[in-house]
Amino acid sequence: MKRIFYMAVKDLAVLMKDKGNLFWVFGFPILFALFFGMIFSGMSDGPSQIVVGVVDEDQTRFSEEFTEALRARESLEVITLSRADALERVRKGNLSCALFLNPGFGEGLGGFFSEERTIEMASDPARTMELGFLQGMIVQSLFEVMQSQFTNLDRVREQLDLWRDDVRSSSDPDFESTTLLLFFDALELMLKDVNELDTNGSESVMKLNLEIPRVEINRERQGPTNSFQITFPQAILWGILGCAATFAVSLVRERTVGTMQRLLTCPLSEGQILAGKGLACFLTCLFVVVSLFLVGWVFFKVPFVNIPLFFLGALCVMLCFVGVMMMVSTIGRTEQGVGGAGWAIMMVMSMLGGGMVPLVFMPDWLRPVSLISPVRWSIYVLEGGIWRELSFIEILPACGLLLLIGAVSYILGLWLMKRFHCVG
Amino acid sequence: MISVRNVYKRYGRTVALDGLSFEVEEGTMFGLLGPNGAGKTTLISCLCGMVHPDQGELCIQGLADLTQIDVRSCLGVVPQSIALYEELSALGNLRFFGRLFGLSGAQLEERVEACLAISLLKDRAKDSVATYSGGMKRRLNLACSLLHDPKVILLDEPTVGVDPQSRNLIFDTIENMKAQGKTLIYTTHYMEEAQRMCDRVAIMDAGKILALDSVPNLIAQYGGAARVEACLTDGVVDKDQILSRLDNETACVVDQTLRFDSCNPLAELTGLYNAGIQLSSLKMEAADLEDVFLNLTGRTLRDT
Repeated sequence: MKRIFYMAVKDLAVLMKDKGNLFWVFGFPILFALFFGMIFSGMSDGPSQIVVGVVDEDQTRFSEEFTEALRARESLEVITLSRADALERVRKGNLSCALFLNPGFGEGLGGFFSEERTIEMASDPARTMELGFLQGMIVQSLFEVMQSQFTNLDRVREQLDLWRDDVRSSSDPDFESTTLLLFFDALELMLKDVNELDTNGSESVMKLNLEIPRVEINRERQGPTNSFQITFPQAILWGILGCAATFAVSLVRERTVGTMQRLLTCPLSEGQILAGKGLACFLTCLFVVVSLFLVGWVFFKVPFVNIPLFFLGALCVMLCFVGVMMMVSTIGRTEQGVGGAGWAIMMVMSMLGGGMVPLVFMPDWLRPVSLISPVRWSIYVLEGGIWRELSFIEILPACGLLLLIGAVSYILGLWLMKRFHCVG
Repeated sequence: MISVRNVYKRYGRTVALDGLSFEVEEGTMFGLLGPNGAGKTTLISCLCGMVHPDQGELCIQGLADLTQIDVRSCLGVVPQSIALYEELSALGNLRFFGRLFGLSGAQLEERVEACLAISLLKDRAKDSVATYSGGMKRRLNLACSLLHDPKVILLDEPTVGVDPQSRNLIFDTIENMKAQGKTLIYTTHYMEEAQRMCDRVAIMDAGKILALDSVPNLIAQYGGAARVEACLTDGVVDKDQILSRLDNETACVVDQTLRFDSCNPLAELTGLYNAGIQLSSLKMEAADLEDVFLNLTGRTLRDT
């Protein structure tokens, strides 16, 4: 055991002498947390706005009210443009979407009562997700403007008079036009009654409630209350991955510089050598995790909801990746080989596990594959102690899985080291 | 003390060791002399327990499992390549390897001091090894192997690429170890080194031992005759008298110079002197291990 400790201390001393490694091990995760924390820090003030250009070629009160309804939405930034300017901006990617309110838009109540295309949209093909969101906002705004039209009796009368004139002028009096005129009269009467009810304090039957009430997932808290809560699990994970990758190379470095030959002639087994490397890697990971914890707590005010659970999760994550990287360290013969393999394996695990690309952006068929990535479970257990408020029992299966992956990888690494030997 | 019996090792189609057998007595120095690729380093790796032979048996102090802690504790290995942590100082390297060999406290510090003295690195003990010259690294490489005062020392070409000063220091250290009764195996392709220090030498080539004996015996058996070149005193040159007196087929006289090869040149020169033939100068080249290798393989060590 002492020899394992001496190996670890030596590796840490070697690490401390290499300033390049020091940055990747200690500096990078903190910068990662800082950088992405800053990006996400706007979340507490609401999401960033989608820029929409409106080309109002209708110039009616309805189109103006619709534009104002869009402008009133927090998630949209609405700018009024000419058609050519709007198209050019969409083409260059400066606008998510341009909305064209063609002549007749107001008369047809936003296209609901018109056969012509009175509203059109040009969108950036690269922003399809925003487009879907935007279409919902447009329909919602249209309904709101229509609702205001029908709840204002003067406007309803005005609109009905327009339609009556339209019916009278477009055709000779016949059964159909007479029926339409009767319908308009009945509608006017009904709206008058409804508005009187509304002014008496009762619930308006015309009010359309298109907001879907949200049910909070967390128990007492409102999800991550601090943007750094979101970035810290990833930052800690990248810190651990960085440490693990650094130490994966350290074993093969012993071979390339010749010190492995001396180590193997010392009274030291292969298992002790690998364990020494693993211990050094683990201690470095621990230092990084504690440093990040303190930085997050003191400087970024990250409210860790369950500190013991966070450290339990972090411990399992560390042991998992130390084991994985010890295995990686034994599969290559050169520093370039192991370094490349280490980062490649980490990248694949990270991509599959949501460490780089959020799981929601993955195709459906790929999402189940993420279950095999320890990165997914690592983020889960780290989030459990940072903001998910998971219980010990809830994170136990994920922790067990991580420990199992670590142990199997370490044993496999040891077998490979003995099997293919380090020198000969 | 050390025995190697019928050891074979192959790397694919390359035969690295081809049925080697020898024994090394305790307290003696055994040389493995051969060109690059002869199998010297492979044999050392087998003796360290780092490479397993395909066939055969190796024993150190009666133990056949060379990976055992007991064997490793009594074994000091000086690898051919520099095996040091360049980021650490000499002190850091010595303390680390000393601890791995179970040294601690005052004993560790005492041995570290002794090894720093051996390698003449006391003044630079705290400097990073990366800042050392090649010779300094070689000296430290040797010192790291002597930390635990091993009984058996395997030296794999310890003087490769070393300046003359460091080389002499390494020779002194090795001779000192030998004087202390250590058992040493020394591989080299410099015949002068083997000739100077080794009690017995095995001449190796292509994984085989071609000859094994003490240096004088090897030279006597395989080295051939010494080359003699003498300048005769002016005015007394009688070629026929000289050649008949010598009775040596290789003898010839050109101008004033007599040349001949002989296994016993001193006796023949004494005979000439007794016959009144005066020599003004004499140059004699005795056979060496280079000649032994040449006679055994048809090549010189430097050709390979």
